[in-house]
Amino acid sequence: MGATADPHRPPAVLVESPMFERPMSHGSDTPAGVEAPGQIEKKAGRGAKIARVPEGADWNAVEEVMLRRRSIRQYKREQVPAHLIRRMLEVGRYAPSQGNCQPWKFVVVRDADMIQGMEDFCVESCTKLSRGLDYASYRRGSVKHLVTRAKAKLFNRLSPNMLHPVPVAAITAIAQGRFAVFHRAPTVILLLMDTRGIGTPEIDIGICGTNIVLAAQSLGLGTCWIGFSKFLNKSREWCARLGVEKPYEISEAITVGYPVGDPQNLIARDTHEIAWFEGGKREIFY
Amino acid sequence: MAVLSRAERRHFPDWDDPTQCLFHRVAVDEALCDGCKLCVVVCPANVLELYGEKGERKARVKESFRGCASCNNCRAICESGAIAATRAYDFVGYYRQLGRGEFSMPRKF
Repeated sequence: MGATADPHRPPAVLVESPMFERPMSHGSDTPAGVEAPGQIEKKAGRGAKIARVPEGADWNAVEEVMLRRRSIRQYKREQVPAHLIRRMLEVGRYAPSQGNCQPWKFVVVRDADMIQGMEDFCVESCTKLSRGLDYASYRRGSVKHLVTRAKAKLFNRLSPNMLHPVPVAAITAIAQGRFAVFHRAPTVILLLMDTRGIGTPEIDIGICGTNIVLAAQSLGLGTCWIGFSKFLNKSREWCARLGVEKPYEISEAITVGYPVGDPQNLIARDTHEIAWFEGGKREIFY
Repeated sequence: MAVLSRAERRHFPDWDDPTQCLFHRVAVDEALCDGCKLCVVVCPANVLELYGEKGERKARVKESFRGCASCNNCRAICESGAIAATRAYDFVGYYRQLGRGEFSMPRKF
């Protein structure tokens, strides 16, 4: 049989940009996991070609998606089609995890009144926290300010990650109605974590969510990570309603929707120290 | 110096002291700003506002210093390229930023 007669065989010249122009190899009747023979000849084995990317080349499609992703907090009202959410979760399923333990489970909420209920609960939690700890919302010199500040300084020492000035400002903004938790997104995906996961399951949740978020960006959707969703773990009522049971807990949430405007400009970001060991030397780059 | 001193490790900055919490550094080019308000709408920290006469409104940072996380969503959505966060936030003491270089656009290598 000639090469062109095989329907599963990819066209011959497709090697320049192997990252994403590579065709999906198997058709409907190829057994899952088996690559079409044409591809094996061309790419695998000892003679497989190395993709050479020249210096200074443009970003490829995957890099573009990563560079243009922003945390979107203003959504259009229009609901996201269900098949796109399924598509995002599908790539989430393929995230790497420690020991391939896959410590995730997904809860998708698409009913506006339910999302509003979750919002109300988290806002209430933020309000309590803000009143109890954020001395910046009280007048300097007042007794309230003094007492709260003393308390906050102690908690700050005990829990320096949670009481970083940025989330504290956010908690107060939420309490005052200037900021939201789920940003009125039409869809909320809760990432549940199996607390028995290997090593540090939080990291695996992060990687899984990153797959989801980048897939969303590539589909023209906006997303935002919602750490304050963890407040829901404290509510028996919400855990029951959402089906969050031990050994699972809500680790993160991702809001999904169509972004307002077109937030696609590239932006500047911090550069970070890179220590580079090569040729017996250590160099520092940024 | 990319290490925290002992004293710094013990000092938690005052959330309400602008000299200890160095939040916003957002620059607006008024010549380019057309007052479309998109940045004000998307700013997660709610630190931007419009000011000026009707028809000639421009964006600016509110007086309140608290909140801006240099996320640059304002830059991402601005069609005329008039606004941008120009530096990361920083704090004194425990939360001082370490090992950071200059702000930079994505570079090609």
